[in-house]
Amino acid sequence: MTVVRTTEPPRLPVRDKAAARARGWGGVSPMLTRLAAERATGVLVREHGTLHLAEGLVVQAESRHAPGLGALLTAHGTLAPEAWHQAVNEAADHHRVGRHLVDAGHLPLGALELCHLAALYDAAYFVLAPSSTPPRFRYGPVHWLGSVRPVPVEALERETLRRRDVLHRIWPHPGMDGIPLARTHLPGTPALTRRQLAVLELVDGVRTATDIARELGHLAFHTLVDVRRLTAAGVVTTAAPARGQSPPGGTRTTPDRGQSPPPPDQPPADPGQPPGRGRPPQGRGQPRRPETDGADGYAPPVPAEPLPPDPHITLLKRLRDALEAL
Amino acid sequence: MPGIDECLLEAMRLPGARGAALIDWTSGLALGTVGESPGGDQETAAAEAAEIARLAAEQHAFAPDEDPEAPAAADTELPVEDLIVSNRDSYHVLRFVGSSFDGSVFLHLWLARAEGNLALARIRLGEMAERLVLA
Repeated sequence: MTVVRTTEPPRLPVRDKAAARARGWGGVSPMLTRLAAERATGVLVREHGTLHLAEGLVVQAESRHAPGLGALLTAHGTLAPEAWHQAVNEAADHHRVGRHLVDAGHLPLGALELCHLAALYDAAYFVLAPSSTPPRFRYGPVHWLGSVRPVPVEALERETLRRRDVLHRIWPHPGMDGIPLARTHLPGTPALTRRQLAVLELVDGVRTATDIARELGHLAFHTLVDVRRLTAAGVVTTAAPARGQSPPGGTRTTPDRGQSPPPPDQPPADPGQPPGRGRPPQGRGQPRRPETDGADGYAPPVPAEPLPPDPHITLLKRLRDALEAL
Repeated sequence: MPGIDECLLEAMRLPGARGAALIDWTSGLALGTVGESPGGDQETAAAEAAEIARLAAEQHAFAPDEDPEAPAAADTELPVEDLIVSNRDSYHVLRFVGSSFDGSVFLHLWLARAEGNLALARIRLGEMAERLVLA
């Protein structure tokens, strides 16, 4: 009998909406919540990218960690690069690049909306990651793309938090998203999907998950999912950390809890270890996970130790969050 | 040329349609929903439908035979076209949307079993999925 080994990812999480409402805000950015309430139009600049608002709704998100709409549309031939550049040149001043692409017959409306939403949620995941710098907001005109399919702030924040849970459940190692990845070259590779194979081909001990997403023209969050699943399967591990590079993505679910200590069960290799020397995860193919798969369907990622590394930094961050919320 | 909302509203015009949604199966996010949600909660329904869609899309057993003569399958080619789940009172039709950019999206149509026509719904949903992303 042939046994095909696949690593089954855990169930997709669902956020507890009642708890979020009780808190009064999404727990991501108090400033953003306030801007939504006052129906502001302009640009919110955060450490990992920007959110463009029009009348309190998010119309575009941009982050250096995620491919933009133009990159996604042109990487796989959905749209000719010339058509994209032409539309940007002709319609950017009128803030209706998206509409121009559809009207000129370059792109069906459905494809534009799908790709736009995918790119928006993708970039917003990184923009709304915990940051060490205060956010700024510039009131101003709407984004040059125009309003394709605006997303309410509340929906975006909730999805961002849920996406952090998605990754955490697959493999709880928040820091790995910004660290170069290496292959483990262990025998008995489990069955991989075509997407995972494409990602695996670019794992070379130098590239990070977001580098791989950019090169493949894939959504960055979807690539993070691929990488975490490959890590859970014991095929990929973290190489030596790149100095001075801050990992994108959610390091914590709440901004007031400081840095996250390593998960209770250590991932295959320490980031400090040289590539190729990583331990395989315990019980390859079925690594142990921390107790996040609660019977209620959702349990927030809980750090192994409640105490953050530096209480002063935590205090300053909480002060900043409180000031921001004023 | 339909957008997401027009596509979902068109799906709702099928006999017996109770709810329709466009869902990303990697994240479990509903990009658009119309009508009722199975189980009452839109977010939970999307996450649960995403689970089964991803499972079906990734299992090698459900993929078509590889043709050694044919050129390598493009990124847009999906191994599975659709999924049908039936129960005592309803049908669920999940139709994968092949997009040339990096999407993992499907249409989820919920039909009342008494009024629904499964064959018609399956054909129409396929056409809608195609029109959504093709000019």
